[in-house]
Amino acid sequence: MQNFLRLDTVSLTYYSKTMETEALKEVSFEVNEGEFVAIVGPSGCGKTTLLSLVCGIMTPTKGKIYLINKEVTGVSSNVGYMLQRDYLFEWRTIQKNILLGLEIQKKLTSKNIERVNNLIEKYGLKEFAKSYPNQLSGGMRQRAALIRTLATDPDILLLDEPFSALDFQTRLNVCDDVYRIIKKEQKTVLLVTHDISEAISMADKIIVLSKRPASIKDIHYTNMGHISSPLKRRETNGFAQQFEKIWQELNDYETQEGTDSITQAIS
Amino acid sequence: MKHKKELTPLHKQYLKKERKQKLIVLAGQFGFLILCFALWEILARLAVIDSFITSSPSRIWRQLVELLKGGDLFLHLLISTKETVIGFLIGTVLGTLAAVVLWWSPMLNKIFEPYLVVLNSLPKVALGPIIIVWAGTGQAAIITMAVLISVVITTITMLNGFNNTDPNKILLLKTMRAAKADIFTKLVLPSNLPTLVSCLKINVGMSWIGTIMGEYLTSRAGLGYLILYGGQVFKLDLVMTCILVLCVIAAVMYLLVALLEKTLVRWKS
Repeated sequence: MQNFLRLDTVSLTYYSKTMETEALKEVSFEVNEGEFVAIVGPSGCGKTTLLSLVCGIMTPTKGKIYLINKEVTGVSSNVGYMLQRDYLFEWRTIQKNILLGLEIQKKLTSKNIERVNNLIEKYGLKEFAKSYPNQLSGGMRQRAALIRTLATDPDILLLDEPFSALDFQTRLNVCDDVYRIIKKEQKTVLLVTHDISEAISMADKIIVLSKRPASIKDIHYTNMGHISSPLKRRETNGFAQQFEKIWQELNDYETQEGTDSITQAIS
Repeated sequence: MKHKKELTPLHKQYLKKERKQKLIVLAGQFGFLILCFALWEILARLAVIDSFITSSPSRIWRQLVELLKGGDLFLHLLISTKETVIGFLIGTVLGTLAAVVLWWSPMLNKIFEPYLVVLNSLPKVALGPIIIVWAGTGQAAIITMAVLISVVITTITMLNGFNNTDPNKILLLKTMRAAKADIFTKLVLPSNLPTLVSCLKINVGMSWIGTIMGEYLTSRAGLGYLILYGGQVFKLDLVMTCILVLCVIAAVMYLLVALLEKTLVRWKS
C-alpha cells in the first residue's frame, strides 16, 4: 500500500491573548508502509506539533492528514505515541504499565494479553514484569515504554525525541535496541528529533524543517536500509557526508544560532 | 535488582552508626518528656509554682485514676472520638468529592476559586451561632463544626494535587484514546494517593479542633465539655488530664493514618 500516511498542505496556528503564532506552514509529505521517516529541525520549530496532529490530539488549522486513506479527525487507535521520557506509572508494575493502552481501549482479551506477554518475554522484560518502574535502569524503562507503545499493535509509531532524556552512552545503546525491536515488528515510524546523527542512523528518509513557521526545506534518502544497526551506520563514510549536508541546511536558517547547532550536533 | 550479600565491615560500621543515631534521637525524645514532667513535679512540690493553678503530674495521675474508676473518662472520650471520626470522614469525603467535581470542570473551578479562598480564610468558629440555630445544640452541631473545619482545606489540597498531575502523563493517556474518566481513575487518583494521605493527616488535627470547638460552644459531654467545665470550676487537674488524653488519642489517630499510608503507597518505597 502506498501513501500509508499523507499530509496535505497542513498548516497550524496557535492563538493566545496577545498574539497568534504560525507553527506550521503548508507542510506536505508522505510516509510509505514500513518506512522509517525522521523529521529534523531547529528547536521549537513545531516538530512535536506535527506529531500531535498526526496522532489526532490537535486539528490542523488548514490542510488534511490521511492515515491509511482515512482522514485523521480524532485520536485513532492505530497510532502509538512515544514521548521524550518513559512516563511509566510508578504505582503500576511493568506488566500493568505495558497493558495500560489495552486496558483503556477495553481490549484486554486473553489473546491480546498473550501477545503482550510474548512481547515482554521476547524483548527481555520478563524478569522485570512484576517489578515497579523505580527498580529499572533508564534503558530498561525506555524499552518498557516502547513495548507499552507496541502493546496496542499500532500501524504507525510516532516517536517524539524518545532518547533525549538519556545520557549519551545509554542513548546510543537504547537507540540500537529500539531500532532492532521496531524492525523486527515491522512497524512504520515517524521520528522527530533535533539530533541529526540520530536521524541518519535510524531513518530511511529524513525531512528537514525550517525555522518557525516550519515548512519543508528538503527531503533526504539515507539509502542505508541494508545496514542493520544504527551503531554500524554511524561508522560508514556516507554518514559523515549526510551529516554535513543536513547540518548545512539547518545552519542556513540559524546564522545567528550557528554555534548553538554545532554544540547540539556534537552533543 | 537487590541481592542479599555479605555485608562488608565498613557497611556494618555505617549501619551501626545509623542505629546508634536513631537510638539517641529516641532517647532524646523520651528524655525530654520525662525531664519536663519531672521538673513540673519538683517545682510543684517545692511550691515554686502553685499547683492549684498549674496542676502537677502526680495530681493529674490521681485525677486520671479517679476518672477511670468512675468510667467517666471512657464515656467522654468515646463521645468526642465519635464526633471527631464522623466529622473527619464526612469532611474528607465531601472535600474530595468537591475537588473531583472542580477538577472535572475547569469552568466550575474558575467560578468557585474566589469562594474557596474566602471560605478557607474565614474562621469557622464565627459560624458557631448559626450552626447552633440550624443544627441544634446536640452532637449534630459539633459534627457540623468538625466537618466545616476539615472540608475546605481538603477541597483545596486535593484540587491542587489533581491539577498538578503531570501533563505529559495525561498526554500519554490521551494518545491511547483515554476518556476523562479513564484519566481520572488510571492516573489522577492513583498519582494523588500521597496527597490524600497528607490530607488525612491534616484532617486528624482539623476535625479534633472542630470537635473541641464545637463542644466549647454547645455540649453536655465530651473532652471539650470536661475541659471547659474544669476551667469554670477551677479544677485545673481535670483540664490538664483531659488535654493529655487528647494528645494521646490524636497521636493514635495520626499513627493509624500513617499505617494506612504504608499500605496505600507501597510503590513509593
